[in-house]
Amino acid sequence: MADSALSDIRVIDLAGETGVYCTKLLADLGADVIRIEHPSGDPLREIGPFWHDERAADRSLIFLHNNANKRSVTLDITHPAGKAAFEKLVATADVVVETYEPGYLDSLGLGYDALDRIRPGIILTSITGFGQDGPHAHYKWSDIVGVGMSGMMHLAGDKEDPPNRPYGNQGYICAGIDGAAGTLMALYHRDVSGEGQHVDVSMQEALIINNETAIMTFDFNKRIAGRTGSRGSIPIDLPGIGIFKANDGEVFCYLGTPGGAPWPVVLDWMEREGKIEDLREPPNDDVARNLNLAYLSAMIREPARIPAVLPILAHMRDVFERFCASFSKWYLYEEAQKQRIMIGIVSTPEDLAKNPQLNARGWYHSEEHDHLAARVTYAGAPYRLAETPVTFRWRAPLPGEHTDEVLSEIGLPPTDVESLRSAGIV
Amino acid sequence: MANVKLPLEGIKVADFSWFGAGPICAENLGRFGATVVRVESESHIDGLRQVGPFPEGKTGYNVSGYFNNYNAGKFSLTLNLNIPRARDMALKLVAWADVFITNHTPRILERWGLLYDDIVKVNPQIIAAYQPMQGLEGPHKYFVGFGAVLNAITGYNYLSGFPHRPPVGLGTNYPDYVINPGHTLVAILAALRHKRRTGKGQKIELAQVESVVATLAPAVMDYTENGRVQMRKGNRISYAAPHGAFRCQDATWDNQPLDRWVTIAVFNDDQWAGLVRAMGSPAWASGAKFATFEARKENEDELEAKITEWTRERTPEELMPLLQSHGVPAGIVQHSKDVLEDEHLKARGYFEYLDHPETGRSVYDGAPFKLSKTPGSLKTPAPLLGQHNDYVCKEILGMSDEEIAEALIEQALY
Repeated sequence: MADSALSDIRVIDLAGETGVYCTKLLADLGADVIRIEHPSGDPLREIGPFWHDERAADRSLIFLHNNANKRSVTLDITHPAGKAAFEKLVATADVVVETYEPGYLDSLGLGYDALDRIRPGIILTSITGFGQDGPHAHYKWSDIVGVGMSGMMHLAGDKEDPPNRPYGNQGYICAGIDGAAGTLMALYHRDVSGEGQHVDVSMQEALIINNETAIMTFDFNKRIAGRTGSRGSIPIDLPGIGIFKANDGEVFCYLGTPGGAPWPVVLDWMEREGKIEDLREPPNDDVARNLNLAYLSAMIREPARIPAVLPILAHMRDVFERFCASFSKWYLYEEAQKQRIMIGIVSTPEDLAKNPQLNARGWYHSEEHDHLAARVTYAGAPYRLAETPVTFRWRAPLPGEHTDEVLSEIGLPPTDVESLRSAGIV
Repeated sequence: MANVKLPLEGIKVADFSWFGAGPICAENLGRFGATVVRVESESHIDGLRQVGPFPEGKTGYNVSGYFNNYNAGKFSLTLNLNIPRARDMALKLVAWADVFITNHTPRILERWGLLYDDIVKVNPQIIAAYQPMQGLEGPHKYFVGFGAVLNAITGYNYLSGFPHRPPVGLGTNYPDYVINPGHTLVAILAALRHKRRTGKGQKIELAQVESVVATLAPAVMDYTENGRVQMRKGNRISYAAPHGAFRCQDATWDNQPLDRWVTIAVFNDDQWAGLVRAMGSPAWASGAKFATFEARKENEDELEAKITEWTRERTPEELMPLLQSHGVPAGIVQHSKDVLEDEHLKARGYFEYLDHPETGRSVYDGAPFKLSKTPGSLKTPAPLLGQHNDYVCKEILGMSDEEIAEALIEQALY
């Protein structure tokens, strides 16, 4: 039986959407993650899409994905009796992860200092929009607010469109990843020193590094980077750079750049496919054979050449567009890559499910779900650890599925659990 | 804070990575106390040293803000791994290290003899983190690409942006900066913990395609479970309305027009009531057309147009605090200048400024998380190419002056 990296660690999961990816990563690495859900319902269970489009607390696909390997306890920690039970649980825990407005846990008497008194050495990981202090600490946040405030949204999309929010709550994802890394860093420190601490993750800060070079560009050159579609920093439309239509979708191409095969290899391929048109003929051939970033830099240094070259580049782009439009996106992707030509498929979710590489590596896995009487397909983990592998131990819990089990483990007699239940606290 | 012992003090990292995904991860190990030696070479130069931004009037390998931002706090050792002597030196460095990290392709790693089976022979307890784009095995393992190609392959392009527009992506090599280095950091820290408990190292493989698709898994499940192929929807989401970026008064910068935007996200009726109050309770907002979430979703085009009429006359700097004061999640779509001048970020001390011998004082991204007792920091600016060859050869690899001279003559140190 393979070991797991966090099998001795208990995590109490109070996280909303902002932090649930953090506790997922910890659960999948083997921690005993106990998710505390409010007896009136966990808002995460209400987010679609749902399994078979059936709206129910046990069917949110996002919930299923993020909460496998966790246990669920329904508990109202704002009620004194619920709080007392929570404190007993804290006394057995190593980590608490939460995403409330800063100061909320303090107002319940459950802030970092209180938790550390109950369980010396505990780690409290707080994941919020703007962090625990500073003038915006109490601002309301959601994914798009953090993404906008980080700067990365200003770079995404076409100039003609509003700034694009990346799909899939990437603010929550990035904050969740940093929350998990921060928790593990604090845990390592605790293992070495015995000392716990408060881990403070700001979604805004977690996202800022995604600005790529925009921040340094302003620092050095006082220039504000903006949206350029798929051209990146290249100021004009070039043949073979950007999004091109296949006959059933799109591909992303980055030809004539280091790391991939040069244009002569592309031209040979176009010729073999009977789609080269007049690119071997003068005056096109000289540009087509030599086109790369160095060629373009040289052209910019000799502006007199630009008027002659630009129409050829535009024509090459048209020919290359016609070439791409003749084939399927999968053919273009796999055939190009056999020749080290830098083309990537623009995958739809269906393409992701059918991706030959992911499937050959057995990355997706199908798991039995008793309550659905069906198997559900899951994506695998972001990483493979040879000695402490991520494993799917059990499906996401039903609401309160482990309430009795967990409360009994911390020494609450069944009669106490029953009275909490009848009071609506569990 | 000088006497605080950082979590990773004593941990040694051999950083054989380049570009973003590897170096950022190693930089964060260093930030929290590890000793990091970055291995690079002019014979196989890190592309980020060649592309800017550069300070005004400066060029060269040592002044790229792109490179420097991901390599602060490291020692630089230049090894030309095409030379056998350099490969021997690389293995000595691996023998010294607790953690090895690389995002080179399997093709290069085979050539250099740095696959797990090669390095585990010299260091059986090594934690070896590989970040190949497609994986070390599988039919696509030799495929070429970088962050922007990965955006397309993994679904970000298809799913982000507006449905009537081509899938242009996110404007950056997005997965290189948090998704891949961050996941790798999680995996390495888990492995370090395991090593501390058991003495055992291990091989970590983060196939970048897997690491990225893991963050989009619900869209794949919507296909596998429901047969639905989701399409990009601009800035809208299924459980909020309005939800998007709204155009504000234009500004200018450097004599150029600059478009300005505010994000607004309304998830419930209380937030809607707050937005209506913030707008001064206009008549259009009081009708049945927008009274419920379902109604707002139904009439979202009109809703967005009406809100834009209001935001277009105002600045985002004025709208954000106004909307927040009414309990509405809202923020400026900040650009780089805004972010650098953001008073909140300044109060929290997010950015770090370091004095670099060639660029002068310049900005570096701060910590991905704040630890209350062991906050960590970048101790030195990014190294010049090969700046620490002598130090690393002598102090870490234990080489004599004569051996160093031979390595230089053979261009192993290059």
